[in-house]
Amino acid sequence: MASSKDPAGTQALTLVTTPQDHRIAWLAALAIAIHVAESALPSPLPGAKPGLANVVTLAVLYHYGWRAAAWVTLLRVLVGSLLIGTFLTPTFMLSAAGAAAGLAALALGSRIPGMGPVGLGLMAAQAHMAGQFFCAHALFIPHEGLFALLPVLMTLAAGFGLASGLIVQSMLPALQRSRTQRQPPQTSQAPQPPQAP
Amino acid sequence: MPRAEPGISTVTDTETDSGIDDGIRSGLSRADGAVIAATLVLLVFLYGTFWGGTGAADLAHFHTADGREFSVPLDADRTLELRGPLGISVIEIRDGQVRFVASPCRGKQCIHAGWLKQGGEFAACLPNRISVAVRSRDRHFDSINF
Repeated sequence: MASSKDPAGTQALTLVTTPQDHRIAWLAALAIAIHVAESALPSPLPGAKPGLANVVTLAVLYHYGWRAAAWVTLLRVLVGSLLIGTFLTPTFMLSAAGAAAGLAALALGSRIPGMGPVGLGLMAAQAHMAGQFFCAHALFIPHEGLFALLPVLMTLAAGFGLASGLIVQSMLPALQRSRTQRQPPQTSQAPQPPQAP
Repeated sequence: MPRAEPGISTVTDTETDSGIDDGIRSGLSRADGAVIAATLVLLVFLYGTFWGGTGAADLAHFHTADGREFSVPLDADRTLELRGPLGISVIEIRDGQVRFVASPCRGKQCIHAGWLKQGGEFAACLPNRISVAVRSRDRHFDSINF
């Protein structure tokens, strides 16, 4: 369509990109569902929630790389906030700051050779909490008393990060299997029927 | 995003293969262990810094009903009598700590606050419109940024 305006190369690339976009959309939808479900859980402390949606982020990072993980995360924060009704509220800002910090940590951590999902999950969760905390301190509660919360929040973040890391660790064999299934028919768009290994 | 595809595929291939293989072969990798150790060190550091008894107060900062503000160092023991709309509140400074001893209010919340000794602690008698916050001198300016 409209090939008269587009250079030929663009169109070819667009055809290749589309299934990737679909995949990101599906994965983001999964992450958003978890995100929204979690927001219904009562939380003893502001800023503390299990962050199970990060399991999806980590799995996407392993499966499709950092860019896809960043897309899924940003879509989750944006759409999740629209669904919960916190878009552009302080909650959203904290969420976005945390997501940005977490993605930065993942970018760093995935460059370290041999880093497993547990390490990545820990790094991302703590970076998320730290980003969120310093955003709260800079924008909303610039009081040194807030720092008394930091050890507790970081402990919770470490616990939840470890948990999601272990979940992804246990998913690795399945991820690996679907990766090898995905690899040979690189160009085919339809999902392959599962083959017994 | 026409350029997204090459980016995604290179990142996937170069950065995640080793991690996946390691993860499957040996549970936790050495890098995972390093991150766990660093996390523990960080947590110990955080608890030590923010929950440890580092910020002993050396200054009491008063606000009184007539709008006066003044600071009193905590190194000398003394008793202050401050006048408010209800009467006189008695405040004691001893051993680097400060507390309300008596106040002509009903709830006595200020007295129940007890001794203030860590920088940042605060007690107030709202009915008598007197408050005291204690600070440590080296972080004196941290709390005036709001």
